Amino acid sequence: MSNEFNLEPYQIAEKAKEIRRKIIKMNSHAGQGHTGADLSETDILACLFFRILNINRNNLNNPDRDRFILSKGHGIGGLYCTLAEAGYIDESLLMTYLQFDGLPGHPVRQKTPCIELNTGALGHGLSVGVGLTLSAKLSARDFRTFVLTGDGELQEGSNWEAAMSAAHFKLDNLIVIVDRNTLQLADRTEKIMALEPLAQKFKAFGFDVHETNGNDPAELVRTIEGMDLKNGRPNVVIAGTTKGKGISFIEDKAIWHHKVPSGQEVTIAIEELE
Amino acid sequence: MMQQEKTDLRTVMVQSFIDAVENGVNVVVVVSDSTSTSKITPFAERYPERLINVGIAEQNLVGVAAGLSLGGYVAVTANAACFLLARANEQVKNDVCYSQTNVKLVGLNAGVSYGPLASTHHAIDDISVMRSLGNIIILAPADPVETQRIFEFALEHVGPVYIRMDNAKFPTLYDEDYQFALGKASVLREGNDITIFALGSVVHEAYEAARELEGMSIDAEAVNVSSIRPVDKDKIIESVRKTKKVITVEEHTLHGGLGSLVCEIIAEEGLDAKVVRLGITQGQFSKAGPRAKIRAHYKIDKNGIVETARKLMT
Repeated sequence: MSNEFNLEPYQIAEKAKEIRRKIIKMNSHAGQGHTGADLSETDILACLFFRILNINRNNLNNPDRDRFILSKGHGIGGLYCTLAEAGYIDESLLMTYLQFDGLPGHPVRQKTPCIELNTGALGHGLSVGVGLTLSAKLSARDFRTFVLTGDGELQEGSNWEAAMSAAHFKLDNLIVIVDRNTLQLADRTEKIMALEPLAQKFKAFGFDVHETNGNDPAELVRTIEGMDLKNGRPNVVIAGTTKGKGISFIEDKAIWHHKVPSGQEVTIAIEELE
Repeated sequence: MMQQEKTDLRTVMVQSFIDAVENGVNVVVVVSDSTSTSKITPFAERYPERLINVGIAEQNLVGVAAGLSLGGYVAVTANAACFLLARANEQVKNDVCYSQTNVKLVGLNAGVSYGPLASTHHAIDDISVMRSLGNIIILAPADPVETQRIFEFALEHVGPVYIRMDNAKFPTLYDEDYQFALGKASVLREGNDITIFALGSVVHEAYEAARELEGMSIDAEAVNVSSIRPVDKDKIIESVRKTKKVITVEEHTLHGGLGSLVCEIIAEEGLDAKVVRLGITQGQFSKAGPRAKIRAHYKIDKNGIVETARKLMT
């Protein structure tokens, strides 16, 4: 089983651009949304869904599929637009985002395919990822589990309970990706509650740590595909990203955590993505 | 019908895990250093790979169980109810209930099982906490036979289940023919004067009280409400209509537990009944000390129920 698109990094970058266009249109239509987070994680999601994850539209529930958990559930807008771009959900659904009984503002597995867990409360994905990875080990299946976390999210203590157990159980088929854009809701992570030295923290917990540019598909693909998934150590990719990536006036500004473009901003944003 | 031999309900629970695996149910048990709390050794010796100990980390306990269930396992958590529902409340809410994962949450040593260890260890709010969450079945077995039936049901059922468990030894109330049915209450003694509703291990107190009341010419009906969600509304209505006098008994706060549940039904159905709810005083932490004394203090023992029934009858 392999990814049904299996795109090259330059093609993934094109997909990411289209996903970003969808995000701008969807969020501006909804009038709400986590635009900064959606744009921050776009390249990571594009790499996963168009190259890395061994999922296939003919059987999205295949028990041997790689699992993906969006632990930073507020980034659901980015995921919806990725799923629409991949054809796993109908693109017209994006216009129901945040409407009554439409696409909800955090992942709901009962409503949307490719969602394993209902997240939104932070610090949940990693433990569930540990459980999923353990299930693969116990049943001798070789699917991988990917958990995408925010960086501010790592302030939740539950992540470190999970990290401790991932190393203890030798879960080398677990891949945590940290969307390290250095911003959280209120301000810089390092100002609110410092995470650094983050790589050393994960290393001390027994992880193989991979630092890379999380907005560069070529680097992301090289990093993830180059991992040793048989060495008994869980993996973390600290993916350096820019919150709001791709739109000059949204990039790296805390205020865009849950602000959406409107009016002239939409036109400018779409132009910048041409 | 009643045997005096007493059995630890947890021993029955652990045997039900073993039986389930033998019958092809893909059970894994997740504990948080709670191997002795759960009396899990017989299972661990037989199926060491099916026991996962996450250490003293309740949030991870529940999250890992949810992940295991998403990977195709029937995941059971087994630790003290006080830590499960307080420490890991958000994991219970989101990873289990909201996500509808196939996890069975076992709240061990619930109520004031831990007696003298005091309120950090008492779980007097588990029923009300679980009732406030969606998507989950809530059960509380009263005796060894019912414990076996309830675990057999829960491990076969696909979806979230919470099971309130005790840490003491109890005689059987039911014979081997007893069949647990989800959403059904069972009448242990039929009566016409007064109804005593109880759940979990205090069902024994309720049943004994009903038998003692016989000698005082009070014909009490003792009802075991082991299925709290779904609840047997019809049976409750039928019994209240008949006796018009109700005592509810629970080793639980009076806020949101069995007494509340019965009163909601009585109020919504507009039933004409006098009700006394026995349980831990609302808005207070439970008293600590030997369990029998705690039960006596809150009148949730046989004597307290008998006394309450006599007052209600005058």
